[in-house]
Amino acid sequence: MNIVKTLARTASVSIALALTASIAYAEDFSKGSKAKEFGLNEAVQSTFSAKVVDLLCEVAGDCTDNCGNGTRQLGLVRDADNRLISVLKNAQFQFNGPAEDLLLYCNKKVDVDGIMIGDPEEHNTQFYMVQFIKEEGAADWNKANQWTKKWKERNPEVAEGKGPWFRRDPRVVKQIEAKGHFGLGKEADIKFAKENQ
Amino acid sequence: MLSCAKLFKSLLISSSVLFLSATSSFAATEAKPIEIKGEIIDTWCYLSGVMGGEDAVIGSAHHTCALWCAAGGIPVGVLDEEGKIYMVLKLEGEDTLAQSDNIMEIQSDTITAKGLHYVRDGVNYLVVQDVVANDGITNFNHEDFGAVPPNSFPKNYSAN
Repeated sequence: MNIVKTLARTASVSIALALTASIAYAEDFSKGSKAKEFGLNEAVQSTFSAKVVDLLCEVAGDCTDNCGNGTRQLGLVRDADNRLISVLKNAQFQFNGPAEDLLLYCNKKVDVDGIMIGDPEEHNTQFYMVQFIKEEGAADWNKANQWTKKWKERNPEVAEGKGPWFRRDPRVVKQIEAKGHFGLGKEADIKFAKENQ
Repeated sequence: MLSCAKLFKSLLISSSVLFLSATSSFAATEAKPIEIKGEIIDTWCYLSGVMGGEDAVIGSAHHTCALWCAAGGIPVGVLDEEGKIYMVLKLEGEDTLAQSDNIMEIQSDTITAKGLHYVRDGVNYLVVQDVVANDGITNFNHEDFGAVPPNSFPKNYSAN
């Protein structure tokens, strides 16, 4: 009889845990969010607590010091359901990724506010744009806008100049000079300009 | 008595399976060798719709923007022929944000690569070990869409 009771108790606990995990998966993370949706594809406000992780370490077991020191993409393991969230973007609207903003909190617990984007039916999941971040429990939010500052530090020779960073970036300029704006050579650029300008 | 025990045993197994399914990320991520052919894309523009429909944010039309995004540290992906996206975590031994030209030189190209494939919480991750073929840009969609976004091609273009 004791075995039956133990089995029953264990089964109940497992079911409860399963239901908790399922509920967390379906949880509405939009409550309290101040993130902007910008009319993006399937955008949903989403604020939650998470741990910042090095994706290569978390997924492939390929770990290094301080999450790669800015050389690697980072992600978020959400506290509520232990899901690994793939982060594509920070809050800046100049083609900037999230690594510099997340790196400040490598392997730390954070609170984030942003949006989930992308069609979950087409891609099995959604992806994150982090707009605000703070160490878990801290009072003040920080805007996720570190990328341009770090770019200037990496590129002092072109840090100050006319126009946005991406028109001066040496790696971008090099590719466009070699292959043109469409990647098909300068002839394609000339033909396009002739037909459209 | 025995049937009761059997019932609880089956309940226990079912609930454990349910629990493990609901918390799939508790399981270790398994690497599977893969050979993949697809276009190197800018994941943010493709998934967010910020620059328009999916057909317009790939190929030659979006090439300059893809360079901007790759240089800007937005994750680069491989879009395979079935429309599945693989987030590239490493390219031939190099971290993707290493600030080298390697990741820039293959933007918008259709490549064939061997590597390791990981799936975690619905996302496909890819460690590219070897780019075995590069067909260059094969989608000349600037002929249909122009430059996407329009400001990725100079207003008063001069070849010099």
